[in-house]
Amino acid sequence: MLLPEGLTSSFKNRGLDQRARMEYHHVSAKNGVADENQNAEKLSHIEKAYTTILSELGEDVKREGLLRTPLRAAKAMQFLTKGYKETIQDILNDAIFDENHEEMVIVKDIDLFSLCEHHLVPFFGKAHIAYLPNKKVVGLSKLARIVEIYSRRLQVQERLTKQIASAIAEALEPAGVAVVIEAVHMCMVMRGVQKMNASTVTSVMLGSFNDNAETRKEFLALTMQK
Amino acid sequence: MDHSKQTQYSQNEKKDAGASSSVLNGHFDGMAKRPAGGTGRAATAAAAQPPGAESSSHRPAASVMESWREERTRSVEDNEMSLPSLAAAYTTILRGLGEDPQRQGLLKTPWRAATAMQFFTKGYQEKIIDVLNDAIFDEDHDEMVIVKDIDMFSMCEHHLVPIFGRNYHRSYLFWCLETACFMFVRLSTVQERLTKQIAVAITEALQPTGVGVVIEATHMCMVMRGVQKMNSKTVTSTMLGVFREDPKTRDEFLTLIRS
Repeated sequence: MLLPEGLTSSFKNRGLDQRARMEYHHVSAKNGVADENQNAEKLSHIEKAYTTILSELGEDVKREGLLRTPLRAAKAMQFLTKGYKETIQDILNDAIFDENHEEMVIVKDIDLFSLCEHHLVPFFGKAHIAYLPNKKVVGLSKLARIVEIYSRRLQVQERLTKQIASAIAEALEPAGVAVVIEAVHMCMVMRGVQKMNASTVTSVMLGSFNDNAETRKEFLALTMQK
Repeated sequence: MDHSKQTQYSQNEKKDAGASSSVLNGHFDGMAKRPAGGTGRAATAAAAQPPGAESSSHRPAASVMESWREERTRSVEDNEMSLPSLAAAYTTILRGLGEDPQRQGLLKTPWRAATAMQFFTKGYQEKIIDVLNDAIFDEDHDEMVIVKDIDMFSMCEHHLVPIFGRNYHRSYLFWCLETACFMFVRLSTVQERLTKQIAVAITEALQPTGVGVVIEATHMCMVMRGVQKMNSKTVTSTMLGVFREDPKTRDEFLTLIRS
């Protein structure tokens, strides 16, 4: 994957390495147009797995409340990982416009829900995205859709942030991209250390946001105000 | 089956015409109303299914009482033995979703997810008796006791997705521990039933003049999928004894928990 020239150095500096790029492409290319039959078969495998899980946990899978739970849980899981089947090209192609605008564009407080890939337990929070257009702007809701595509997968918050940033960088070739995600991880709240109020903040700064401290400060001031 | 709901707590006060629901030694007479999502059988979800459970749908009071004396459906040894098949099930799920279970981030995920799930449902391993027995004291106190803002986490039994929220409960006459609600919340459950189970357990353990339990929770199955309403909350309540009969007492409770 070739990155736009202006961004190459900051990509390297911020450690957007080969692996992250491969993962970004690898997964989105994995599932093309899914075959109907394949889908149904996979659904039934997942359903059987959930039935096993319920009975191993000591529940009675025949009781009324649980009768269709394996199917519902399987469908819910498929919904929560539907990002694997979606690609950036599908949603962005039509919504990039030529505009003579070079000031910061911020979309903040984008609600985000994802699944922790280590425990298969949700984490959720908000994403704040900013970019400095270089003659090309994107429809604003597309930024939120990019967040959706990558968050509806089994994720690690760090990788999620990076994937969102690199997708925007690739599609728009802007002068800079910044992504901040602030999320609460149920795997820390509901189990393990059980800290109710802890949240995790990750950020990726590319281009001018990385090189120019003032730009970065402006972004942070505008998004992190409560 | 769809969860409702923005159940207003007053709706739980169904008009049992003339039913007296005074609590006598833990026996309920007027407990004919059932939560929308549960049946008589469901009330023993926390218990091993005794053979008589099938017929208990007509006798909700009896089956609800049994939860106090239930057997554990699971032990620590069971947990260890079922771990491999749980992990295998999770591996199947990962594959079915199109992921590669061999990649580094997912390598031990089936085991982690299985242990996490066992933790989320560890209420199956616990009994009320164990949790409460040593901590009931005689005290000459007959004013309201409220324990509020108890964080609780549970799993929705329809989608196996977390529910979390706050719990307020109280009783008359004796000091009660909030560990009771920690046990019940670990079960995969329906919120209506959960509220009732907590109230019933406290009643049976302490025989107070009344118990009120209110749960306000966010259902991730509604927030993360389905209707995807971010800010909706579900409120359910159970009022037993004097809380049900005396509106003033109920009002006091509800005002105090809202403040």
